[in-house]
Amino acid sequence: MTTHIVFVLSTIFVVSFVSFSSKPSPIYGGFGLIVAGGIGCGIVSSFGGSFLGLMVFLIYLGGMLVVFGYTAAMATEPYPEAWVSSKAVLAMFITGVLAELLVACYVLEGNEVEVVFKFNGAGDWVIYDTGDSGFFSEEAMGVAALYSYGTWLVIVTGWSLFTGVLVIMEITRGN
Amino acid sequence: MKPPILITIMFTMVAGTTIVLTSSHWLTIWIGFEMNLLAIIPILMKKHNPRATEAATKYFLMQATASMLLMMGIIINLLHSGQWTMSKNTNPMASTMMTIALAMKLGLAPFHFWVPEVTQGIPMSSGLILLTWQKIAPLSILYQISPTINPNLLMPMAIASVLVGGWGGLNQTQLRKILAYSSIAHMGWMAAITPYNPTMMILNLMIYIIMTLTTFMLFMHSSSTTTSSLSQTWNKTPLTTALILALMMSLGGLPPLSGFTPKWMIIQELTKNEMITTPTLLATTALLNLYFYMRLTYATALTMFPSTNNMKMKWQFNTTKKMILLPPLTVLSTLLLPLTPLMSILD
Repeated sequence: MTTHIVFVLSTIFVVSFVSFSSKPSPIYGGFGLIVAGGIGCGIVSSFGGSFLGLMVFLIYLGGMLVVFGYTAAMATEPYPEAWVSSKAVLAMFITGVLAELLVACYVLEGNEVEVVFKFNGAGDWVIYDTGDSGFFSEEAMGVAALYSYGTWLVIVTGWSLFTGVLVIMEITRGN
Repeated sequence: MKPPILITIMFTMVAGTTIVLTSSHWLTIWIGFEMNLLAIIPILMKKHNPRATEAATKYFLMQATASMLLMMGIIINLLHSGQWTMSKNTNPMASTMMTIALAMKLGLAPFHFWVPEVTQGIPMSSGLILLTWQKIAPLSILYQISPTINPNLLMPMAIASVLVGGWGGLNQTQLRKILAYSSIAHMGWMAAITPYNPTMMILNLMIYIIMTLTTFMLFMHSSSTTTSSLSQTWNKTPLTTALILALMMSLGGLPPLSGFTPKWMIIQELTKNEMITTPTLLATTALLNLYFYMRLTYATALTMFPSTNNMKMKWQFNTTKKMILLPPLTVLSTLLLPLTPLMSILD
């Protein structure tokens, strides 16, 4: 695996975000979301978090995005806007991609970008040390800690998800 | 909305604000803001008309953007200080982003454009919750980060808010828009004192909430949403007319009433910090606010507009609207000024 894999993946991540931020119709935007989810899984896995990366694929892509895809297909419009069929969407997409390529070239040339924090180029992302957690993977320890020290967080998150469903049903009730 | 669902939604709204108030970890604070936002959307859309949908959408988009900015500030703070608690947010970029995010949530100028439009599109009782309860959580975070706020950022926003709140409300006849601009102006006063003495900000918030609560309840009692329907309250409940007179004077900050206490304390604290121009500017532009409160008073209590004979018989019917807590609230919003020496316990 090259040391620059995370850099490449994150560039494609940003480009896929641009692809749905340039506001095509939701069916086409869903494609950008799928690519972004897959790349995100790749980035998380390359930092050693294999469990969480596969969670992204399974739950996010395979659960939530599938539901989104079906509802977008139900609510589709007769003439959806793709990236090349509308000049506005194409212009926004090209602007975003150009900006990202500019930043990427800047990073590759100077090996250092300082916008808000010092980002030391692509080499910053390689894992050199393993921390002092010994033989346990940090990510599995984190997931375990969520259910032991983070019980309150799990309760709050679960309640928020439940409330999200309740709120959406109330809003779309219509009478 | 069916009662069990209403109870759940209200509980989530209160729980969200409580989580913001009682958290020491930035992540749970952010979660509390999001819970609050999610739960208030169906309350804004109690009546399912396109106006309410538009208002709820505008509110959601503004608050979600502000939450994203807050999250960015939190992460930059984490990057530079290495911890998630509230104690050290000394990085200027993080502090700036958090301040701007909280200003967007409160409706301070120049992020005030959503307040009148959202308040106008929703029912009176939802507007009540929007303008009082929803201000508590962002102001509590502003209180906690107040040592590290850049005054050069917050003071212009505060002064601009008082100006916008005064001038924007001048041409309005819809009561909800008037109360929205009043809220913008009061938030400006609160933001002005936060870098110097945050306790006075809490005092202003308490008195503002009591006064706004009373105002909304008086308007809801006479079911009036415009100035012209407010001018008929002399026929529905003459006592409400007198109360509106006292309350509007208190909202405007006139001396023998309790609305004067926060303005007085804020001007005192600002002059203790050797600022002369700012409190003068704030006090002078608060006169703009006073003008449209006076116009409401004039229409309601001091003049009887011509009306047809069939509008003159409403006093004959018994009112069936519940006025919970209205008498104590009215007393609190007008007669608290003699208790000002009690503020010395806050030192």
